[in-house]
Amino acid sequence: MRRRLPALGSVAIVAAALSVLPFVLSDYNVYLGAEVGVFFIAILGLNILTGYTGQISIGHGAFMAIGAYVTAVMSRDHGTNLVLTMLVAFAACFVIGLLVGLPALRLSGVSLALATFALAVSVPQLPLQWSNYLGGSLGVQASTKPSGLFGISMPGVAALSNQWIYGVAWASSALLFGMAWLILRGRVGRAFRAVRDSEIAAVASGVELGLYKTLAFGISAAYAGVAGSLFVMASNGFAQYQDFLVVLSLQLLIGAAVAGLGSLWGILVGAAFVGLLPKISGSVPLIGSDNGRDIVYGLLVILVMLVLPGGFAGLLARLRSLARGLNRESIPVKLRESSSQ
Amino acid sequence: MSINRKKLGALLCVAAVGIAVASTAGAAQQGSPGITKTSIKIGGTFPLTGGASLYATIAYAEEAYYAYVNAHGGVNGRKITDIVRDDQYDPSKTLPLVKQLVEQNKVFAVVGSLGTAPGLATWGYLNTHQVPQVLLATGDAYWGTCTQKVGFKPKPYCKTPKPWTMGWQPDYPSEARLYAKQILKTENNPKIGVLYQNDAYGQNYLAGFLQGLGSHTGDVVDKEKYNFGDSAQVVGAHVGALEAHGANTVVIFATPTASIQALATMGGVLHWSPTTYLNNVSANRLFVLDAEQNGATPNGIISSSYIGSQTATPSTPGMKLAKKIIDGTHNSTLIGDFNNGDNNIVYGLAVAYTFVDALKHAGTTPTRASFMAAIRNLHEYKNPFVYPGIGVQTSKTRTFPMQQLILEKWKGTAHDWRTFGSVIGTGF
Repeated sequence: MRRRLPALGSVAIVAAALSVLPFVLSDYNVYLGAEVGVFFIAILGLNILTGYTGQISIGHGAFMAIGAYVTAVMSRDHGTNLVLTMLVAFAACFVIGLLVGLPALRLSGVSLALATFALAVSVPQLPLQWSNYLGGSLGVQASTKPSGLFGISMPGVAALSNQWIYGVAWASSALLFGMAWLILRGRVGRAFRAVRDSEIAAVASGVELGLYKTLAFGISAAYAGVAGSLFVMASNGFAQYQDFLVVLSLQLLIGAAVAGLGSLWGILVGAAFVGLLPKISGSVPLIGSDNGRDIVYGLLVILVMLVLPGGFAGLLARLRSLARGLNRESIPVKLRESSSQ
Repeated sequence: MSINRKKLGALLCVAAVGIAVASTAGAAQQGSPGITKTSIKIGGTFPLTGGASLYATIAYAEEAYYAYVNAHGGVNGRKITDIVRDDQYDPSKTLPLVKQLVEQNKVFAVVGSLGTAPGLATWGYLNTHQVPQVLLATGDAYWGTCTQKVGFKPKPYCKTPKPWTMGWQPDYPSEARLYAKQILKTENNPKIGVLYQNDAYGQNYLAGFLQGLGSHTGDVVDKEKYNFGDSAQVVGAHVGALEAHGANTVVIFATPTASIQALATMGGVLHWSPTTYLNNVSANRLFVLDAEQNGATPNGIISSSYIGSQTATPSTPGMKLAKKIIDGTHNSTLIGDFNNGDNNIVYGLAVAYTFVDALKHAGTTPTRASFMAAIRNLHEYKNPFVYPGIGVQTSKTRTFPMQQLILEKWKGTAHDWRTFGSVIGTGF
């Protein structure tokens, strides 16, 4: 009971802050905020797979690419409502994620990571191969005609404007966060964690290993698909294969590592790290020019990994236990740890 | 259980708030941003670092010309500020930078941005927001093809017209057609090998070249594609494949680094000297000298040009002015590159000249729309940095500003290009 209240408080604070931001930020910063929302969803999904189920994926950029092209092509060819295409991207990536999850049954650790890496390398090349449908190196431009949310037009807000993207990205984030919470708190989440902690013990406890491993891949991929779909919208509806190369997959993994496990704040920080850092480090005065961007990015990644091995969530947990320690100074360390279990 | 319900309620609230946020009204923009009585702010993206950074001098030359114009009173009393951002020729970095230029820096127009893929990544956005995207430093045919609703070819990429986009230099397909015609004219039994970059840029060149060959496309014995950023070994292997296929005429449609690698492989590794055509983009004297240093034997290579040469014709008024402007920057690297024949510097000066020319004709208080009207009605026959006799002209129906080229050949003893023949019209 005492631990749940702060969690509720966190959600309320984040929701309130996110609702106020588009009113106070400049147009360009609202766009940056929307980008953070996009990465929030992708990292949230990756967290389910990597953090809760213990499977590594270096290939989530590929799922983002699939979601992105679903949105761009459906909008270009059929003028489909952009929000509707997100649902299709979710479904398509869920199915493809399940299929990709099948080899995960036989692979683990580094082998699995390499298999997903292959995905990250190959999928972004598909638009070049099937250039008639996927635009090739010209990319795909989605329709930028006004498209309301769920068919409801919004007066004063142009589709694909920064405000529009911000609203759609964070509304989706809220829904998907709620969905992740519902999945993880129940039987499925328990099974995921059991698989992560020990596959043998999980099977012995009656957890269907194949089912839950592929399911985790499917859900996680579906989240990435929605993120890809939103990524295209935030790019004025333009999808190009260069946006989804291996670097993106690595960035997502870095974001998940920065986020740490199972904390809303952690995922927010991870998303901000991936979404904002490449953009703001370009104007860092110390290095002075745009090529400083990559240097700053690299240094900060190293720094975070050194100082916060458990990610931001780990830092929060440490601070919390520190605070508890101060409150109950007389209790010996061992006892304190077991009491918090 | 009641707590869980509360939590669920809270989450739904978040969702509701998020959706409510989505209906935030956007603030409407009034007038054209980036311009005041005394200043005009423009921006552009260039590869200042990374694999295509050999182009960076274009941006520096443009800044030098604007500084020169500002020192002479500006344009109608307005000083030009040019914000140059580094996208490293990576189109995934270009759109965020252009968004920042437009939405945060509030530039009046995006001028001179370099690269085909970066241009394609941003032209949708810039046309949606009606921001001029002009004088693109890329010669792809896209920039002049999707201009008007009436009359343009219904290409898939032209699904929506792009009236705010305009290129500058002669388009690549036309340049490639010129080489094809020259080969058919001068070679008896050409066996042609093509090396091209595997993206929209290289494909544009290749398409124009095959079009120019017409019924002789069978003369092409091998087409090798490399990817931007490939290592010298990979590019070299493609050149080796051209030789293995028995090519006696090699046509290179590449970006500078790969071109240098290809020429160095031909001369230094394979000791192979077929008739070679090098696309204009790679034919900068500096690049060919670099290739020579690495073993290339470029004597007799054929290319084409449309701008003045500060090394071959240093005494023309245009090149004297160019030298004065570049010397005025006191940037020793830039001055050194200029003196060694980095033609991109003259190119940058010429582009900046056209921008200033258009701005002068855009009225006393230019708007984005009046500027576009001016730049689509250019009659520029005396751009001092352009090759004499070549004009920069636009009209409602003429959407490619430059449609003339002059062929040139590398003279090994002079280590420089020498133009030959007369100016050739390349328009459609």
